[in-house]
Amino acid sequence: MRVLVVEDEPRLNEQLAASLEEAGYAVDRALDGERADFLARTERYDALLLDLGLPNVDGLTLLRRWRDAGIGVPVLVLTARGSWHETVQGIDGGADDYVAKPFRIEEVLARLRALIRRATGQTTPELRCGAIVLDPRSGKVTRADAPVRLTSHEYRVLSYLMHHRGRVISQAELTEHIYAQDFDRDSNTVEVFIARLRRKLGAETIETLRGLGYRMECER
Amino acid sequence: MTPRRWLPRSFRARLLAGAILWTAGLLPLMHLLMMFAVRRRYHWVITIDHHHLVIAALLLLLCGVLALRRPVTSLAELRARLAAVRDGRASRVDGTYPSEIQALVDELNALLTDREQQVARAVAKAGDLAHGLKTPLALLLQEAEQSPQVAQQVERMRRQIDYHLAHARAAASGATLGARTSIRDSANALARTMLRLHATRGVTIDVDAAPEYAFRGGREDLDEMLGNLLDNACKWARTRVTVTSSLDGAQVVIEVDDDGPGIDPSLRDRVLQRGVRADEAAPGSGFGLAIVRDLAEVYGGSIALDRASLGGLRATLRLPSA
Repeated sequence: MRVLVVEDEPRLNEQLAASLEEAGYAVDRALDGERADFLARTERYDALLLDLGLPNVDGLTLLRRWRDAGIGVPVLVLTARGSWHETVQGIDGGADDYVAKPFRIEEVLARLRALIRRATGQTTPELRCGAIVLDPRSGKVTRADAPVRLTSHEYRVLSYLMHHRGRVISQAELTEHIYAQDFDRDSNTVEVFIARLRRKLGAETIETLRGLGYRMECER
Repeated sequence: MTPRRWLPRSFRARLLAGAILWTAGLLPLMHLLMMFAVRRRYHWVITIDHHHLVIAALLLLLCGVLALRRPVTSLAELRARLAAVRDGRASRVDGTYPSEIQALVDELNALLTDREQQVARAVAKAGDLAHGLKTPLALLLQEAEQSPQVAQQVERMRRQIDYHLAHARAAASGATLGARTSIRDSANALARTMLRLHATRGVTIDVDAAPEYAFRGGREDLDEMLGNLLDNACKWARTRVTVTSSLDGAQVVIEVDDDGPGIDPSLRDRVLQRGVRADEAAPGSGFGLAIVRDLAEVYGGSIALDRASLGGLRATLRLPSA
């Protein structure tokens, strides 16, 4: 899962990004509205953390522009103004959820998980596919109740596939959702991660559809 | 009252016109009266038609009264309009007045505008200060992940900021003249927001408020009060939340009901207990009712908790009607 953090206070932006990376997300950062606008329009994110009080272009204006342009990525708004009046404006402007500053990082992570879960049509906090269970809350993966150790990239690939169970995911789509923008992608190809995941979770877990992509098919 | 265009707008000109018309009406009447007094001796003098003269004289008198009436009543009207401004029913002194008074009214309106802008600027500054502190506080909270004491102090600071900002804004709203907020608009917008924020809970919200019901105060404050009540109701409701509005004398009454577990009567009092201010309420109580009560009281309103007919909690908010 790939997330964009838009926050103009550099230190807070850094902290948020670090916490999100630790929780298994690929993270891009933007410190102002223009950069955020560019990234949101050119990259594929699974969710956005958006501070409303940005220099140049404020967050609410950005959000309205994106929604008008048909960019439907789930947006979690971070705001210093925690009033209900502003919340109404934010939600009407297209925000999906709200966190008022100062916040606890656990709160942000919990809401982000719920947001991605809702956006991908998941109903339970745990993602299950056959004997494999991925819990986004703890970032732990088990196979038949036995813990499986994954690298962060393997985790991201599995998490994306499991959030979109039953759907065919092209290699390009996977690539877009597991790497941060500034990451050197050549040395870490998707095929390598898929092969390693199959070794750890069982060859039958991830299907390859030649020329189309990958799919996790599970009986629910 | 529409100004009579055929009469001069100036107070002085009207006084003069009134006096001349009145005198012009009075003179022939006096003349006739004297004639009647002496008619027995001078029958031959009376040659003109009495009736027409009397009618003409009365008409002149009437015109004189009309010319004077407007300047005099305009003062009473001005007083009524000023009272309306002070009560918050109007934001400006409206109407057209004789030119001397109009100049005064224009100055008064300019003063009101100026003062309103000053208040708005002061509130904006208070807001900037409050929100400027929030981001550093957020940083502090992340840095102090291992220290519950620091986290607790940050939480206290946040509450202090929210509490005093809400108060500053509400006090300024009282100073904002002619503020009027539709109950239905606010409730509908909040219901939309709640449905989104509590999407996973599957709660329905019914809003029943006549479009003419309005609160005499700012939208931000009504949103804050209703938002806290609705958020609370949505958190506890099983399936249903209702918002109903009615009028009771000079107050507009808003009831927010839910079908949740409700609150024990003894606890109801405690939640609204006097002296438990929002900034002193225990952290994590998360009830938001204290701020509702504070805001309602700034406007001379009230909040009460009761059992809802749906089974859960009923919060009754009473506010001045506009």
